[in-house]
Amino acid sequence: MSEKKLAYYPGCPSEATALEQHMSTEAVFEKLGIELTEVEDWNCCGAAEAEDPILVYALNARNLAIAEKEGLDIVTPCSICYYNLERSNIALKEDESLRAKMKEIDSSLDYKGGIKARHVLDVFVNEIGMDELKSKIVKKVNVKVAPYYGCYIGRPPTTAFDDPDDPVLMDQLIEVIGGECVQFGHMKTKCCGGPLMMTRADIAFEMGRKILEAAKNAGADCIALACPLCGMMLDAKQPDIEKALNIEIGMPVIYITQLLGLALGIEPSKLGLNKNVVDTKEILGKVV
Amino acid sequence: MTIKTWELDPNFKNEIMSEPGGEHLASCFQCSTCTLGCPIAEIASEHPEMVPSFNPRKIIQMSLLGMREEVLSNPDLWVCLICHTCTARCPQDVRIADVLGAIRRIAEKEEEAGKLKIESPRPLFDKAFLHQLEKYGRLYDMGLAKEYYPKKEGSFIKGMMAMKNDYKDFGMRMFKKGKMGPLGGHGLLKGMLPSKIKQKDVMKKIFEKVEEK
Repeated sequence: MSEKKLAYYPGCPSEATALEQHMSTEAVFEKLGIELTEVEDWNCCGAAEAEDPILVYALNARNLAIAEKEGLDIVTPCSICYYNLERSNIALKEDESLRAKMKEIDSSLDYKGGIKARHVLDVFVNEIGMDELKSKIVKKVNVKVAPYYGCYIGRPPTTAFDDPDDPVLMDQLIEVIGGECVQFGHMKTKCCGGPLMMTRADIAFEMGRKILEAAKNAGADCIALACPLCGMMLDAKQPDIEKALNIEIGMPVIYITQLLGLALGIEPSKLGLNKNVVDTKEILGKVV
Repeated sequence: MTIKTWELDPNFKNEIMSEPGGEHLASCFQCSTCTLGCPIAEIASEHPEMVPSFNPRKIIQMSLLGMREEVLSNPDLWVCLICHTCTARCPQDVRIADVLGAIRRIAEKEEEAGKLKIESPRPLFDKAFLHQLEKYGRLYDMGLAKEYYPKKEGSFIKGMMAMKNDYKDFGMRMFKKGKMGPLGGHGLLKGMLPSKIKQKDVMKKIFEKVEEK
């Protein structure tokens, strides 16, 4: 990777429910020698709740413009933030009148279309590359992993950076760190149910159950993922799913940045591995 | 379902197509690929007691026919996950997830105008979420829950009880992991107070001016 500096967009969950994703992202980039500069005074991307595309473009024009002033591409560990940043980026780049409309709202929204928005998984595999990652790996993460991609890595086609039905980037990363991917088939890309958690918990829990039980049945030691809403649903709400559906799962759920961090020899506490809700100790025992 | 041709609104498709996200509606040729891949349609087939039916193909066709009232009052609109499986697989690039979003926004406007009653708490949730951004520039979980639950339950007391019921265990879990609550995480009141951005005035402007358009 030629550029050794990126603008970092942590996203709202980084301050609370996905603290471990934030910690591990920062730690991994530091270890890889890439400087992350947090987008100064960043605002929320609108998540799945801002349904008006114009509102999404306005919210993200501000974040993109801040990174553009620094002359840096923007990277985020959250799949939903990535989707909103990149779809805004595409829309604003293509449409001069839309850019003018943004500028009219406020001068801080004056984004000229000069940068890219990237997801951390895309940066690891396609930018830094497997050869460089391999050269920095010092430990074998000897675990069976169910690679879970969720929605916004392979979909929709306009912003996707992996295959919609059979994505491979996380699989490749897991192999490089010494792990083994279990057969997870179409579950890889099935929605976790997160968007309905607050309005139709019954549906959301059933969606989450399908993924968790599929991972268990496939013999996985853990699920790896790259989105804080998936993390919230599959990890933080796992005890609620177990209670509501009267089942036992006990499936550790770990951010891909945490797994990569372990392979890079970073201290588990620096990767926030004590902050995942389902205990991760057994996984740590398999890092050799 | 009987289709009363004299009650159809031929302009409904244009109404949807002039909303951002709804532009590709008319390209649909009714192949059903969207519905066959949809995870909510799957839930409907496995658990009809949970979701009686779910058929995005049908919503699109009803929209094209101009069945405005039936579409806007259709409860299916509010259980779409926006997972974009339909969008990814559609051979006609209809972008169904975005089209459904455009239809939801028309339904919300109808409700605001007093012409429709939406039987789902989702618009309340989305609004409560956006209010946090408007006020603070970032999501404030506690603020969101405190606004959403009373509105969903119809009273402050009922709302607080429902919130406690849903989130007591979860809150304790987050507290123990140092992610939320007093003495957790990076500070004494992590998650208890909103994380505010400096340029809150810009957020206010964004919400005011986008609404005008």
